[in-house]
Amino acid sequence: MNGSGGIILSRSNIKLSKDLFARVKKCADVAGYSSAQEFVEHVLEKELSKIEEAGSDEEILEKLKGLGYLE
Amino acid sequence: MPQPATRGWRILGAVCFALALAHSLSSGSAGPEGTQLAYIGPGAGFAFLGSFLTLIWALALSVVTFMTWPIRMAWKSMRRRKGMRNATVKKVIFLGLDGLDPRLTERFMAEGRLPNLAKLQEQGSFRRLRTTFPALSPVAWSTFATGVNPAKHNIFDFLNRNLKSYLPELSSSRVSGPRRTLKLGKYTIPLSRPTVDLRRKSVPFWKILGQNEVDTTVLRIPITFPPEKFNGRMLSAMCTPDLRGTQGSFSFFSTILEEATYEGGSRYPLQRSGNEVKGWLEGPDHPMIRDAEKLKIPFTLTLNGQPGQARLTIQDETHDLKVGEYTPWVHVAFSGGVGGKAHGICRFLLNETEPHVNLYATPINIDPENPALPISHPSFYSAYLAKLLGSFATVGMAEDTWALNEGAIDEKAFLHQAYLIHEEREKMFFNSLDRLNAGVAACVFDASDRIQHMFFRYLEGRAEGPFADTIPEMYERMDALVGRAQKYVDDDTVFFVLSDHGFGSFRRGVNLNTWFYENGYLALKEGATTAGPYFKNVDWSRTKAYTMGLAGVYLNIKGREAQGIVNPGEEAQALKKEIIEKLSGYPDEELGDIAIRQVYSTGRLYRGPYLAEAPDLIVGYNEGYRTSWDAAQGKLSETVINDNSKAWSGDHSVDPLLVPGVLFCNRKIDAENPGLEDMAPTALALFGIETPAYMEGKPIFQFAGSAT
Repeated sequence: MNGSGGIILSRSNIKLSKDLFARVKKCADVAGYSSAQEFVEHVLEKELSKIEEAGSDEEILEKLKGLGYLE
Repeated sequence: MPQPATRGWRILGAVCFALALAHSLSSGSAGPEGTQLAYIGPGAGFAFLGSFLTLIWALALSVVTFMTWPIRMAWKSMRRRKGMRNATVKKVIFLGLDGLDPRLTERFMAEGRLPNLAKLQEQGSFRRLRTTFPALSPVAWSTFATGVNPAKHNIFDFLNRNLKSYLPELSSSRVSGPRRTLKLGKYTIPLSRPTVDLRRKSVPFWKILGQNEVDTTVLRIPITFPPEKFNGRMLSAMCTPDLRGTQGSFSFFSTILEEATYEGGSRYPLQRSGNEVKGWLEGPDHPMIRDAEKLKIPFTLTLNGQPGQARLTIQDETHDLKVGEYTPWVHVAFSGGVGGKAHGICRFLLNETEPHVNLYATPINIDPENPALPISHPSFYSAYLAKLLGSFATVGMAEDTWALNEGAIDEKAFLHQAYLIHEEREKMFFNSLDRLNAGVAACVFDASDRIQHMFFRYLEGRAEGPFADTIPEMYERMDALVGRAQKYVDDDTVFFVLSDHGFGSFRRGVNLNTWFYENGYLALKEGATTAGPYFKNVDWSRTKAYTMGLAGVYLNIKGREAQGIVNPGEEAQALKKEIIEKLSGYPDEELGDIAIRQVYSTGRLYRGPYLAEAPDLIVGYNEGYRTSWDAAQGKLSETVINDNSKAWSGDHSVDPLLVPGVLFCNRKIDAENPGLEDMAPTALALFGIETPAYMEGKPIFQFAGSAT
């Protein structure tokens, strides 16, 4: 489980230089993230979403079935 | 009530079971959280892992756990004492009643129907509790949990739009199949684990309490699926899927062979031969064959000649059914061959035996004793609760509103179902209070929300029937629950009763996609006469704005949306301003009323790193109005405003200023205008923990040396 909630199915440590980490920490605080880790994950997720493919349309819509607020 | 001796054995059994299960699940082959993860969802299968070696390892660890128990308990007790060192209280109880409306609460208190809440007000405080923009449970409870606005926790609605496909996605979690698979002929063998991601960001207050060694139990607070690891116990809630991977799909079985489609479920045939009626219960997709039929379990109904009665036989269980009575939870296991089994639970309800046989089954919930996906933390906590207290509903929105909307069950059956689930929740809540010596217990009850959604038409006199008093009676029932919880409250306890939003009528639906189309903001592909569902025929290269979900309007921004055409910056700002001006105060000319009070720019409402994921505008509908069923799905309607004729007749997806929640407390609240974001800092402050800098809320009590 990571700091922002997802289940990490394999954990790996990524090294950042001291200077970069300090900048990350400062920006995370200014932007309103709860931690540097949340900031790094958000940046990576945004970049990955540009590359990764979404699931099929049918699968995505099927998962919403039964949500009371939606027909 | 079980006899004390019997209860003692059950507790002992549950503890032993939990110990063994904990270790069987915490072994290396079972994933980092110790959960035997399965992928349940459309289009993929479940992978079940386990081995004899795992069992041996689990047993060995159980023995070690048992032997070291006294040392571990002593260590834990020492740490807990340290955690309570700066606390100003011993216990904090949050009793969440989803959707409890302050105006109705005041009305029923004035009528003397809510004595316990009235007593709480007299003893301490009653305030209206500011809700979030929009006033939706996923958004509101996420703010309650984290103490931040939506742009910091990333939950803006039930749905997010996919920036590439413009399709809606569940905003709170993402369940994906294994990333690596091996294809062997028709089989797809998973080589890696499925993933379950929580999309709510920031940090819930119970995680911070845990870091400070404050014992916490969190039961069914929305947007907690998948469960986060923390130093405490937690049971997941809203948006936990059913075993089919949907948000809850019922099954309706009938000997009448007719075509019928349901939005929230499926219809299946029953074959009658003499006194025997045969059918099958449809479960998840096959775990290893992508285009295979869904897994099924056959069942038999035996009619015994007595009208309204039948005997159900399914797998190892037999139940005598009577029309109008639910079975207990029936355990079912769908076998995917070498892919393993997926365990679920559902209730059956016999509707009719003559001349036709009609049978309803609830959505197949993930079995808490053998969960196919993680639904609690620690992973064995759901099994512990089920062993100790009996099985319970696990799907996010467990009360089957669609079955009532679509006539698969009637009002009486819906109410019965909602209160069965409520009773399960009460047992868990009081179990958490029984074991709470010092720390926090928090539980959210959903019946208050679901019953108001489905019975508001009776409260208003728009529908006739014996249900005019259903909502007042529900408030009385919640009041009685408050009364029983108060018995756990002493001078060292702070007791909160709160709701995430209020409630109102939903008489008319507004389709802003139709308005956007009629006013040139949304275009259809050439030759198309309608947009949807889900914007299928929308020409994005000529569309500037659209609505999806329950409250948000999105601009089609260049560089953000895949086919965006509105330039960010000045053009987008001007478009926002134009839409706000045109839609604020939008009239319902047919009824001579105002349909939209105000349209809000999220750039002004929110501040935080996830602002780019938010809708660009939040629509503040007037009371009685909401986004229409069609608009929420990306469809067009013939007219912008239509009547809502569904049983779902109450709602809160309106201007949040109209639907604050309630906040009762046994102590005097110093804050004049408390909001949901204040509750997390308050919980921390009561245990002497400073509010983290990123949190926006403030403690609602004046502590020595602090300002509210």
